Amino acid sequence: MSLALSGAARTPARRWRLPGTPGQIALALGIGAFLVAFLIVPVGSVIYVAFTEKGSGTFTLVNFADFFRTDLFLRSFWNSFYVSAATVVLASVFALPLAYITTRFDFRGAVIVQTLGFLPLIMPPFVGAVSMQLLFGRNGTVNLLMMDWFGIRIPFMEGLNGVIFVQAIHYFPFILINLSAALRNIDRAMEEAAQNLGSSGIRLFRRIVLPLAMPGYIAGASLVFVKVFDDLATPLLLNVKDMLAPQAYLRVTSIGIADPMGYVIAVVLIVVSVAAMWISALALKGRDYATTQRGGGGLARRKMRGWESALAYGVVGLILLLVLAPHIGLLLLSFATIWSYSPLPDGFTLAHYGRVFGESSLYIKNTLIYATLAGGIDVVLGVAIAYLVLRTKLVGRQWLDWAAMAALAVPGVVLGIGYLRTFFGVHLPDGTPLATLWIVIVLALAIRRLPYALRACYAALQQISESLEEAAENLGATKARTVRRIVVPLMTGGILAGFVTSFATAAVELSATLMLVQSNADAPLAYGLYVFMQSAAGRGPGAALGVIAVLLVAACTLLSQYILDRNQKNRGAS
Amino acid sequence: MTATAQKMARPTAAPEAALHTEALDVRIEGINLSYGSNHVLKDIDLDIHAGEFFAFLGPSGCGKTTLLRLIAGFNTADTGTVSVGGRDIGRLPPWKRDVGLVFQSYALWPHMNVAQNVAFGLEERGVARAEIRRRVGAALEIVGLSHLADRRPSQLSGGQQQRVALARTVVIEPKVLLLDEPLSNLDAKMRVQVRRELRDLQQRLGLTTIFVTHDQEEANTVCDRIAVMSDGIVQQVGTPMELYERPANLFVANFLGTANVVEGVVCGSGTARVFETTGGWRLPVASGAEVPAGARLVFRPQVARIVEGQAGVPALMGEVVRREFLGSLVRYGVASGGQEITVDEPFRPGQGQHEIGARVAVEVPMSAVLWLA
Amino acid sequence: MIRSAAFAATLALASFAATGAFAQGKVTVVTSFSKDVTDPIKGAFEKANPGITLDVQNRNTNAGVKYLDETKSNPQVDLFWASAPDAFEVLKGKGLLQKYTPKAEGIPAKIGAYPINDPEGYYFGFAASGYGIMWNTRYQQANDLPEPKEWGDLATAPYYDHVAIASPARSGTTHLTVETILQGEGWDKGWATIKSVAGNFQTITERSFGVPEAVNSGQVGYGIVIDFFAFSAQGSGFPVKFVYPTVTTVVPANVAIVANAPNTKNAQAFVDFLLSPAGQEVLLEPAIRRLPVNPAVYAKAPEGYPNPFKDPRFAAMTLFDVDKSGARTDVVDTLFDQLISFQLDNLKGVTKAIHEVEGKLAKKDNPQARALLSEARGLIAAMPVSEAEASSEAIRGAFTGSKEKGARQAELEQKWAGFAKEHYAKAKAKVDEAAKLAN
Repeated sequence: MSLALSGAARTPARRWRLPGTPGQIALALGIGAFLVAFLIVPVGSVIYVAFTEKGSGTFTLVNFADFFRTDLFLRSFWNSFYVSAATVVLASVFALPLAYITTRFDFRGAVIVQTLGFLPLIMPPFVGAVSMQLLFGRNGTVNLLMMDWFGIRIPFMEGLNGVIFVQAIHYFPFILINLSAALRNIDRAMEEAAQNLGSSGIRLFRRIVLPLAMPGYIAGASLVFVKVFDDLATPLLLNVKDMLAPQAYLRVTSIGIADPMGYVIAVVLIVVSVAAMWISALALKGRDYATTQRGGGGLARRKMRGWESALAYGVVGLILLLVLAPHIGLLLLSFATIWSYSPLPDGFTLAHYGRVFGESSLYIKNTLIYATLAGGIDVVLGVAIAYLVLRTKLVGRQWLDWAAMAALAVPGVVLGIGYLRTFFGVHLPDGTPLATLWIVIVLALAIRRLPYALRACYAALQQISESLEEAAENLGATKARTVRRIVVPLMTGGILAGFVTSFATAAVELSATLMLVQSNADAPLAYGLYVFMQSAAGRGPGAALGVIAVLLVAACTLLSQYILDRNQKNRGAS
Repeated sequence: MTATAQKMARPTAAPEAALHTEALDVRIEGINLSYGSNHVLKDIDLDIHAGEFFAFLGPSGCGKTTLLRLIAGFNTADTGTVSVGGRDIGRLPPWKRDVGLVFQSYALWPHMNVAQNVAFGLEERGVARAEIRRRVGAALEIVGLSHLADRRPSQLSGGQQQRVALARTVVIEPKVLLLDEPLSNLDAKMRVQVRRELRDLQQRLGLTTIFVTHDQEEANTVCDRIAVMSDGIVQQVGTPMELYERPANLFVANFLGTANVVEGVVCGSGTARVFETTGGWRLPVASGAEVPAGARLVFRPQVARIVEGQAGVPALMGEVVRREFLGSLVRYGVASGGQEITVDEPFRPGQGQHEIGARVAVEVPMSAVLWLA
Repeated sequence: MIRSAAFAATLALASFAATGAFAQGKVTVVTSFSKDVTDPIKGAFEKANPGITLDVQNRNTNAGVKYLDETKSNPQVDLFWASAPDAFEVLKGKGLLQKYTPKAEGIPAKIGAYPINDPEGYYFGFAASGYGIMWNTRYQQANDLPEPKEWGDLATAPYYDHVAIASPARSGTTHLTVETILQGEGWDKGWATIKSVAGNFQTITERSFGVPEAVNSGQVGYGIVIDFFAFSAQGSGFPVKFVYPTVTTVVPANVAIVANAPNTKNAQAFVDFLLSPAGQEVLLEPAIRRLPVNPAVYAKAPEGYPNPFKDPRFAAMTLFDVDKSGARTDVVDTLFDQLISFQLDNLKGVTKAIHEVEGKLAKKDNPQARALLSEARGLIAAMPVSEAEASSEAIRGAFTGSKEKGARQAELEQKWAGFAKEHYAKAKAKVDEAAKLAN
């Protein structure tokens, strides 16, 4: 966001009096209209309640005063803050060694680590928390064994600890991905210069490597902070209610009570999230080192000595085991007959897969359609917004960016209710409300995941030198053709990364979906899974469906990774 | 530009006195280095004297930077040793070598300001704060950047950045100073100035300095001795003049200055030896001249003379096809026997020039020629 | 430009697909019931009414109510099908349901003291369930814990930190249980009982199913649940046991037709089917295992199947006043949250201390310490509002937003939370004093 300013610094002389070409203005207006229609209006229609007096509906700010006068809300606020900050710390503990070892050393399996490291983002709702309880809960596998062997019990999953633990595992890939990219972009000479001056090991990492990778780290960490701050599913599943997002959810959805405080909290969530993104952007202002360096070659990959190698594999293995624990638990659960108060299931069966086999194909089809469309909409919007912000001088272009990023902070349930409220009144020619169409689910998913794709596209465009575009324009290409033939091909990596993140996370999204699914025929996997997870007999099939969802998304992710690699190799060869 | 154009400050009390540098010799013996099947350095032996300004000169890909990085510890030799001041440093990691390297890209850390960059190495060595402050001040004074201590690298010009890199390196009082193409990122005018400053600094600090470059003029002007490298082999070591006067082989002759290489074969034996050029001219070989097998006739443009009409001494006949006025001299190209011979003649106002198209004889003083394979 | 064209095309395509979905003979139901329940009933219903397809939308009760409210301008669903009667009361109050008189015969007016149908004919009970205690036998044996028989057992020392319950604000059935206790024992004594059990809670879940889930997996030992959660868990093979305490609650499960439903006729057919003997018999299936509201159907029930119409445990149920319950629903739920859910750490702290002192007193009695303990219990039991106040317009208005409200909801919540915190702290001080004496 901060770099909007640097983008404006040098813009070629314009022939038009208008602040941009007519095409650019039309594009900006189009995107603005889209965001207004599918984000601002629906969300506004819900949260305006925060500013009204209950009963009379007159405008008031007293609800905000109540927020700050109520111990529960203040406690929730600090809990949310503490959990978010602690999650960033723990996620960093997971991400740092993985990113460092795989980018800094000759490490066999670095690609596998990077791929597996992405997997925790794809955690279907409900089953993740259930399998974490089975593994790390008070009477989970680890604690039962600990009790047996040492007579102690570690409160991994108790209260806020549990939320921090699960969230760190779930969201650490954001740090891993961004930090790895930043580490790879550091000029090798930067590190060698320090070694030459007598620095090595941890000190070298702390004083040179880490500060240089800081932009990537902060980008990832701020995303983690905001996501955790706004996430309600994990705390609720762990029965932690004194945090802001769960408080908002519980109040917004409580029956028969028109409680404005839920909406007040939603406003607070949005404000804090936008502030967090803004502060991180400020912190990074003028510090995008990776792109300003000459030379390159990335960090020198060092060969590891025997014991170093053993240590590295040990650390990587341990972290992977930990962060993939929900998936391991999920896999066990999907094959388990009964798993109750025991370190491992009593027995194994294929029956759960048999049960979901028939109906899962419908869910899979819907999931693929929704997630693909949502991802597609996201990258198109992402590229367009990034281009408008970085490459034009249109007035208010940053607002597009901020509005799109604000979607990060809108709780899914608020968006879902907003969609119902806004689009149920809009009728199609045959009388069906717009909100009952499955395309509305796609739009909600697209809006929810837009920030991920936008950040990826933004970073990709930032790394493209403007002179490449100027060269194309100099040779007679119009702006539009330059974008199509030069900018977009060069952004392929970033676009695909954005697509994958949006796609993968949209595929397992539930909170907005749950409000909008209108019939079983339109339901995605996450919804099917939710339905199963409501009964004792459904636990196994639900887990099986979860495994299918993870495999499906992982396969699509790998496929796009493969296409990306091939594209880059081709470009390198030519 | 204005800042970089400043002369290095010459303070009254020499700031270099604050740095305790000593001159040590560097001995490189039997170094071999391969990347897979690519043999990058082959049997390198070099003896660099204490306090010497020494250059590794050669075209890109000759292995000169690889060798420099090997001394700094960033490459590991397959065989051979590197010792500084009689101590083998080959097994030390880069951070324990005390070998100061100035990177081609300068590699200034963008997250630190100038003073922090310079202080870094001292902090890593656990030097006391006051001492760090004193030495950083001295180092910045040496390079004339005391007034920019608080700037970030991105706020400096190329020349200033380079001086910071230099200050950052010498402040640790390295045993050897390594410079990797230090002038390549500067414009032509700056280069001349900075290379003089480098020479000057080296003299004041008395540091053994190794300078990697592909530019013979840079090497010639600042270095005491040069190792000319090609294909991972040290072709010849010597002072600039030695190398120019007595190149060991065709590569060195061609790489340092301009040389005419005339193809042909030596016929006869003893005092009656004659060099028969491929163009058909016969030139007597000076008695006592050692002519290796397959050698060619090599001479510098300024030793030959152009004569219009008949020549008095053995000569190559041809036609003037090019004339370039270079100020103090005029460079002629004479087409002869399918190749172009370059001849430099001093320019003296009032004296006539040879015209393009003139039939001329190029007199070759056979006693001053080289026979190189 | 290309994008917007593609978008328009997608929209067009979508609308086409939706039009095609308007098949004849469709009926859509929003339900909180799991697939285990809905699938067999769907099968039986579609078999009994050829040509009508039942489309099931799963939402939890709260989301379902919210959904109906948000879509009232143009309803797309025909039926609302869930347990909690209070949710139906809310829907009825908002005018989101339509009246109907089911054709079914042989269904009595009450189970125990609880009326099966809405007297005004807006929603109909089709099944009943009893509340009880479910526990994980492996957990119980591994921790050497007793088997409970009565609600009161759960308040005793061995059960400390081993019990789970769903939040009454989120689980209509739990709300009924709380209300039953309040009506049965009276406001003050009822709350005292609830708080004494709550002191032993390990967790208060947000979903009804969260409790059986935790017990099934062994994360919690004991749960206060509806019977069918336990029975279906047993049916799935989990090592759990269940007991109805001598005073249990009957919880009816209901169905209602949505106002302005697009397929009212089919919706009526579904209600009639559900209440017909054929529909009632489906409830006996092991995976569903609910109590039919038609007493005649029990003839086909397997051995040992509880019959609320004959079983004395159900007959002992207290007289339940629906109007009283309805008037103070929000107040009771909010009190539970503010005095228990959000003060659980404080409440547990003092409860644990009481258990410890009692343990010491059992070995060596000290009347002074006993007096202090009873004072502490009194402090814990104290309520910020009386029964009369709970139903008063002034306090109800804070929740419904009526003009007569005395304070805003947030102000009340803060006041109650402060009350609880202060009293628990005072109680803790008394217990600490008692602990010194007991040594």
